[in-house]
Amino acid sequence: MKMFNFCSCDIILLRDIIIMSENDGVKNMATVKEIPSFDSGSSQPKKQLHLAEHSAKQESESEHIAPTRKRPEPKSPSEPVTSEVLPDEGLKAIGKDPVPTEVTQTGWGYWGNWGKSLLSSASATVATVGQGISNVIEKAETSLGIPSPTEISSEAQNTEETNVKASSTHKEDGNTSPMGTALGVFSTISTAVQSTGKSVISGGLDALEFIGKKTMDVIAEGDPGFKKTKGLMNRNSTLSQVLREAKDKEELRTANEVTMATDKKAHYGLLFDEFQGLSHLEALEMLSRESEIKVKSLTNSLSGEELVNLKLELEQLREAFSLAEICDEEEDEKKEDEDFTSEITELFSQLRVSTRPDKLTKARNTVHEWIRMSSSKSLIEEEEGKQIEPENPEQEDKKTIEDIHAFAIQSLAELTAYSIEMFHKTAALILHGKKQEITALKRSKALSQMTVLLCKELSSVSKEFATCLTTVGVKEKADVLNPLITGVFLEASNSASYVQDAFQLLLPVLEISLIQSQIESSQSQ
Amino acid sequence: MEAIWLYQFRLIVIGDSTVGKSCLIRRFTEGRFPQVSDPTVGVDFFSRLVEIEPGKRIKLQIWDTAGQERFRSITRAYYRNSVGGLLLFDITNRRSFQNVHEWLEETKVHVQPYQIVFVLVGHKCDLDTQRQVTRHEAEKVAAGYGMKYIETSARDAINVEKAFTDLTREIYELVKRGEITIQEGWEGVKSGFVPNVVHSSEEVVKSDRRCLC
Repeated sequence: MKMFNFCSCDIILLRDIIIMSENDGVKNMATVKEIPSFDSGSSQPKKQLHLAEHSAKQESESEHIAPTRKRPEPKSPSEPVTSEVLPDEGLKAIGKDPVPTEVTQTGWGYWGNWGKSLLSSASATVATVGQGISNVIEKAETSLGIPSPTEISSEAQNTEETNVKASSTHKEDGNTSPMGTALGVFSTISTAVQSTGKSVISGGLDALEFIGKKTMDVIAEGDPGFKKTKGLMNRNSTLSQVLREAKDKEELRTANEVTMATDKKAHYGLLFDEFQGLSHLEALEMLSRESEIKVKSLTNSLSGEELVNLKLELEQLREAFSLAEICDEEEDEKKEDEDFTSEITELFSQLRVSTRPDKLTKARNTVHEWIRMSSSKSLIEEEEGKQIEPENPEQEDKKTIEDIHAFAIQSLAELTAYSIEMFHKTAALILHGKKQEITALKRSKALSQMTVLLCKELSSVSKEFATCLTTVGVKEKADVLNPLITGVFLEASNSASYVQDAFQLLLPVLEISLIQSQIESSQSQ
Repeated sequence: MEAIWLYQFRLIVIGDSTVGKSCLIRRFTEGRFPQVSDPTVGVDFFSRLVEIEPGKRIKLQIWDTAGQERFRSITRAYYRNSVGGLLLFDITNRRSFQNVHEWLEETKVHVQPYQIVFVLVGHKCDLDTQRQVTRHEAEKVAAGYGMKYIETSARDAINVEKAFTDLTREIYELVKRGEITIQEGWEGVKSGFVPNVVHSSEEVVKSDRRCLC
């Protein structure tokens, strides 16, 4: 049951592209309405409004579809307690999942613990993988244009531009064939990215994850290094292994190409490691694995009523872990800067562990301060610029779009690394800290909320960086600016995936803490 | 970060709680002495490059461990993949010195089948007036275990660099002589990235890299 082969994964991923595009493409189109006069004549708004309405309708129609960022399986393959009923559940899953759209939840970042859901969904959906996949991939490669800093000659960029525009038109013509839709999505991303302002991608995390997933596939197809990584993967490989391999490859590559110093500066994987994100992730994985083994052996030693009760409670825990629903509502984003700090501190205090998220909040505030400074500077320049031109090149404070991009990638890597560090420390303290009067369920809920908060923050930071980039790079060509912006969104999407994966690693830790407290209380009775 | 390194060594820092492990590491990696330092939870991670000879850099991955007993089951897991270690005691705390034996016994059990090159560090040597352990007796204990002994102060930045680089050099020599080898499945020593050169421990000259790109 747990054996799955790579081909199925590939197929699922590819299939996801098509299906996802049907959802997200529509959503992204909706963003156009918020930038009515951008790049278009006065007659446009009406049409766009119509489009928006149309898409809103479609959106509600497709509401039954599980959100893409939702965890792929509420029941993870590693879940020990129910392991004896695995085959049964597998069957159920197959029975439940025949509607292909339901499996779109599978994010690329979840390779570590896919096994079951993949297998079950694979059998049901392979048939729906239609023709034209390779075409889609090809398009994805050219239209996304960000997978790794290696390639992307400006020539390719140019073709990309034309492709994008062409497919964009198709979309507006109402082309609804799978191919057309898929292309439409890619183009919508680019379109959205081209637009200025806060509403760059109103789909927020949806779009982020979407871009991330796509790009991962593209990378997997386009980059031999990654292909190898992928090939090496089995159900035992963990996120940190995947990341480490990717990072090692990148290190190797950059070592070979000393000239690409700037690339290296903005390489997420290297930076993530630099901030010790990988080490903390590995440490967390270790704690998670150990807990998992303990949970297994402890539940095996239970029987009768005790076991039934425990299973019930464990089920509740798992629910708290699967309900990490990220609603990316507009009003949430309008909140003030300080809110993140106070919210995360508050949530953290609910955990009752003897550590604070200071490192994270500090880094986060530094990032926001930086963004604020560089946007206000560019605003001033814009106002005064006309008189002062030609601009003074010696002015050191002046940030180039490359600077902003590099800082954006660095910030995302930093915030993600610190988030994972925070989860790691939390796990260590839950397992080995002083006993606290708090249930595992309460802690799970707080952690779940925290994950949502962190992902939102990553999303909003990336949007701010995108705004910053568009403001500063207003005079840049689109083929220079767009890859940078898309790169920021891509890494933000990856970051959110890592944070969510790290969160999932906490489940066995909380399970063992629940079991232990139950055993203790039954012993004291 | 730009630098290309020859090897990566993983070092572990152990010793009783409050002897100053985290402060020593932060002085070494961040160049400053933290005025406030919370007890380490489980394990923490730091890294820094060290240039042992001109053009020869080693990346140190430093594992900072909690001294508190309750985290012992976590920290134990990290011995196995370390090639070197700093065993710290506080020269103003006799007890922490006496526990040195215990620490070494503990590592012996958990490091199998590999070995760790240890250096004994008498920390907080700026507080000489409160000294409870003489240099002489510490040196004797160190020699008994075949370790070097060094006294450091993170607050006054005394010997901090030296403690780490001496250990790094010692390991480097052992690697060069083939007494420590890179092994699959062991993270203690990893070879760095020297493009297109199948390097053993031979000379790798900087210019080699240049012309290859």
